[in-house]
Amino acid sequence: MLMPLTTRLKYTLGRYLPFLKIRPPDVDRQDVLVLRPGRNALITWEKLENGTTLLRIPENKSVGWLTRMMAKWLHAPTERKVELDEVGGFVWELCDGKNTIEAIVQKLSREYKMNRREAEVSGTLFLQTLLDKNYIGLYKKASKAELKQAEAKRESTRPSRAQRRGDRATTASNMEQGTTK
Amino acid sequence: MPTAAKTPKQPVPVETVASETPERTVIGWQGIRFTLPPEWNVTGFSMDRDNGYLRVDSPGSGTLSVLVRWQNAAKPDQGPPTLYTLLAPGFRKWLRRPEPEVPKPDLKANLEKILKDAQKQAKKAKAHFESSVKAERTEGENEERTSISFSWTGGGRGQGKIWYCATCKRVVVAQVVGLQKDHGAISAIASHLFSTLQDHAMEGYDLWALYDLNMEVPDDFQLESQELKSGYLHLSFGRGGERIILDRWGLANITLKKFTREEWFANNAYMSTKKLSKESVPIDRGHEATKFAGALSFLARLRLLREAKLSLKRFPTRYEGGIWHCEESNKLFAVQVLHNKRTEGLWTEVVRRCLCH
Repeated sequence: MLMPLTTRLKYTLGRYLPFLKIRPPDVDRQDVLVLRPGRNALITWEKLENGTTLLRIPENKSVGWLTRMMAKWLHAPTERKVELDEVGGFVWELCDGKNTIEAIVQKLSREYKMNRREAEVSGTLFLQTLLDKNYIGLYKKASKAELKQAEAKRESTRPSRAQRRGDRATTASNMEQGTTK
Repeated sequence: MPTAAKTPKQPVPVETVASETPERTVIGWQGIRFTLPPEWNVTGFSMDRDNGYLRVDSPGSGTLSVLVRWQNAAKPDQGPPTLYTLLAPGFRKWLRRPEPEVPKPDLKANLEKILKDAQKQAKKAKAHFESSVKAERTEGENEERTSISFSWTGGGRGQGKIWYCATCKRVVVAQVVGLQKDHGAISAIASHLFSTLQDHAMEGYDLWALYDLNMEVPDDFQLESQELKSGYLHLSFGRGGERIILDRWGLANITLKKFTREEWFANNAYMSTKKLSKESVPIDRGHEATKFAGALSFLARLRLLREAKLSLKRFPTRYEGGIWHCEESNKLFAVQVLHNKRTEGLWTEVVRRCLCH
């Protein structure tokens, strides 16, 4: 999720003026390892015979008319292709929203007989690159308590049945009077 | 003068280390060696043998760390060299005078300094500081160590030991540091650490062990450069002009799909392998290495001369290098040795002492 612009500006300011001591809160390593990376649904991918993985990334369609016209005129490709090597493809396959980063690191370490630390450093760096390019997103599986809390919050903000019925009646009377809300 | 191809009296160290590897993490750096529970990793180190440090952190989000600092009492850190410090060793050697006796360092003063630093940290964290220091005692097989144990709390918690070793003339401070709640873990790690910690070479060989690497190099070779990257590890040692270069690449199965072992070695070797003789040699642990040997090329000699700042001390004339694939650890190992005629057999000895799995 992208940070609000004001927050980003604040942290950028803090980076260049360190005496202000404005810095993003420290992220605990353990909190990151439980996140689940999931692939961007717009990206199609296939495994090639040579063991590499080919990603097809569609071009951004929400661009201005001028850009669209220029792209058409210059025969710009409608998609970008990215080839991942064997290890990259292995990690990409595991980014299905079910595996946590911790699980991916463990599988990487086991599959390629890497030291746990090596696997964690290279694996998380690769995931970070994918995340920066919006090829993947990170999800956090909510605990039962968190789900209950969210449900309760939704319930509290949702208008009650009586309120909704009242609203409907008001709308109907307004409509009869020829005005709508 | 120690020669490179030292024949060990008995091949005990190699076997001992090998049997420890699966259950324990063996750490070896600049003559310091110890074992820790599995998956502890080196996170900080210094290149200096006389005055340096080593930091090893617990795995995961653990908060425990092992900090080891050492200082050579015979070569204290005195800042920039003076004319006397530069010329005296040469004159002493020329006049065949013995080295001056190293005065026994004041351990208590050193310890006070350490505790004062810890107290400052505690003050910053606004925590109450307490420390306890045990009496000085002598230990070691030949009673070569004089040590003082200590512990402190405040901000965090630490348990350590400071000692002076008469064999290597080093003052070593080793401590296990953690949070207040880690009391039990700190004690357990500390007792294990102090029972396994060695501060000098064994049988003339230093152990270099980190990130699953485990190799022994003659103790008069100094570490000159290193690269510790994920999937690639490089250590280069020098003694005068002589060199021992170790490279280790991970993900060997992927590399070997594109290149043969020989091609990969030729691409990464210190000098061109075209004019070198090539042979297959069986090495320990059931592997077979491809070995290249021959005279050093003119260009390689020029490069060495530049690296050794025109010094001809132990100037190498021969090149030996080899690469092998360890399927068990999925890694490629390459050992290259640049040596002179006096140190024949150095490559074989270093390869024998390099444990790939």
